[in-house]
Amino acid sequence: MKRNVITGMLVLVCSFLLIFAAGCAKDQGTVKSDTGLTQAQSSAEGTGEQSLQEQSLREKLMAEAAAFQDIYFNFDKYDLKPEARAMLEDLSNWLSEHADFEVTIEGHCDNRGTAVYNLALGERRAEAAKAYMANLGVAGDRITTISYGEELPADPRDCESAWAKNRRDHFIVFPKKQ
Amino acid sequence: MKIMRAITGFLIFLLVFFSGSAACAKVYIDINSPAFQKFPVAIPEFKNLQNTGTGENLSAWFADQLSRTLKITGFFNIISKDAFLEDQATAGITAGRIDFSSWSSIGSDFLVKGGFSYSGDRLAVEFRLFDTIEGKLITGKKYWGNPKEKKAMVIKFANEILMALTGKGGVFDTKIAFVGKKGNRSEIYTINFDGSAPARVTAYDSLTLLPRWSPDGSKISFTSYKTGNPDCYIRTLKNRKTERISHFRGLNLLTSWSPDGEKALLVLSKDGNEDIYVKNLVNGSLKRLTRNRSIDVSPSWSPDGRTIAFVSNRSGSPQIFLMNSEGKNIRRLTFEGSYNTSPCWSPDGTRIAYEGSSNGVFQIFSIGENGDNPLQLTFEGGGGESPSWSADGRYLTFSSRFGKQRRICVINSNGLNVRILPAIRGIDIFKTPSWSGHLNLY
Repeated sequence: MKRNVITGMLVLVCSFLLIFAAGCAKDQGTVKSDTGLTQAQSSAEGTGEQSLQEQSLREKLMAEAAAFQDIYFNFDKYDLKPEARAMLEDLSNWLSEHADFEVTIEGHCDNRGTAVYNLALGERRAEAAKAYMANLGVAGDRITTISYGEELPADPRDCESAWAKNRRDHFIVFPKKQ
Repeated sequence: MKIMRAITGFLIFLLVFFSGSAACAKVYIDINSPAFQKFPVAIPEFKNLQNTGTGENLSAWFADQLSRTLKITGFFNIISKDAFLEDQATAGITAGRIDFSSWSSIGSDFLVKGGFSYSGDRLAVEFRLFDTIEGKLITGKKYWGNPKEKKAMVIKFANEILMALTGKGGVFDTKIAFVGKKGNRSEIYTINFDGSAPARVTAYDSLTLLPRWSPDGSKISFTSYKTGNPDCYIRTLKNRKTERISHFRGLNLLTSWSPDGEKALLVLSKDGNEDIYVKNLVNGSLKRLTRNRSIDVSPSWSPDGRTIAFVSNRSGSPQIFLMNSEGKNIRRLTFEGSYNTSPCWSPDGTRIAYEGSSNGVFQIFSIGENGDNPLQLTFEGGGGESPSWSADGRYLTFSSRFGKQRRICVINSNGLNVRILPAIRGIDIFKTPSWSGHLNLY
């Protein structure tokens, strides 16, 4: 029994690291060192059948958590579009069913205009999503916001299609830290 | 303190000869006038006054270095050597031995002659600036010191030339701080006014943004994500000590120091709403200045400390507003266009430079403090962002786009003479420049 708990924790740590690494690769932004990943992976490998099942359940959950898409904004705007509201409703519902998860909302801008003003604009975009989710009943202490302004574009090119992808909120859904 | 620094920093000794002549020099040209034409100046090779052959031959070096230095100011047109008529072999470097008509006839209203000599391991250099039309010396100086100081000697005399012709010295002893970005990492860098001595200030391997010089040039503030949250820090350059001065949840941005360097204007979003605060850097106290649900950012103090320019979207789009130092008497300054940001007050307090959208491209503008006489200063397709004035108000620095790259540019405050500062290897994006005050570099 005790061994199962330990194995479960290992699996959790491992999947968290995996998700974290994947998230970093995707947003190319807040990169932390990913050493230790291989070690955690290999130590999770010799586990029994039961914990593998557990792992697959957990993996399914983590995959769901990672599947929430970015929402997009118009230039110099932070009001939520209908499709953004729909996404935030999905995310809020999911969070209400998974009380042990929380979310960080990153607000981003395209690189036109002022770097400083864009930091504020990114903050507003993240706060707009947070306010909407709080209104739907997600506890405020489960939602963290951070603005990266124009500094971490999803697409670094200078054209309208790239800018449209960069004016976004990005969501990182992760298990609550103990 | 300042005097002490001036004395200790003075490695070069100088002697003024004909000191009376500069005082009675005629008034030359108002360089801020829209009709200003660059001063045409010829700088022939310097004479080796010794003819002993010891030491490095610096004849061409001095002429080239002084030409380059004057050109950088944007106020001089350097006459090509190919046009020179005077016989350099027989001509001298003093008024009695110069054929002034051979210079005025090629359109060179001004002439710099110089000579150098070695005495042991000391280098001595004479510089003279002449008015070729009147055939008169305007100013002359002799400097001597370690040969390693030869660039400083050139810069000192370039400063004398500016002083004599325009009534005000240059900003050769200033630096520009900026963000250098590679991929998703950025650091703070500095570079001299003339594009020399690029140097990295931070090495956090994170996102570090928004450098601002303290008024005395001893510190640089910035915001860094190095701990995850965008916190605000102040680096003392001399001992490289860094102090975290603000770390509320959310944005901690320092956009302006008070003229006395004891306070700073911050933008904080700790209550989920960006507002402007004044922080006392001596006792740490914090006072809120704006209370509005809109975005209020980018505060910039007027040189007398009485007025603050800032950006707010309270009227729907980002525009520049003014308020007094208590956050009262708020009034809108810009009305043209739908995106005006990054206000920066000129050192004489009469104008505010800013970035505005013009036909979809962001360009640099300046406007009177009463909203009068708005001027567009940049017109190129790459535009201009985040302007910052030089200490003498004669120049602005800003960032401009060149394809995927962004570079730091310097422009005369009348909009002429754009100069792109050199790139630093491995960096694609240079932005948000901040110009230092005088640093007594030379």
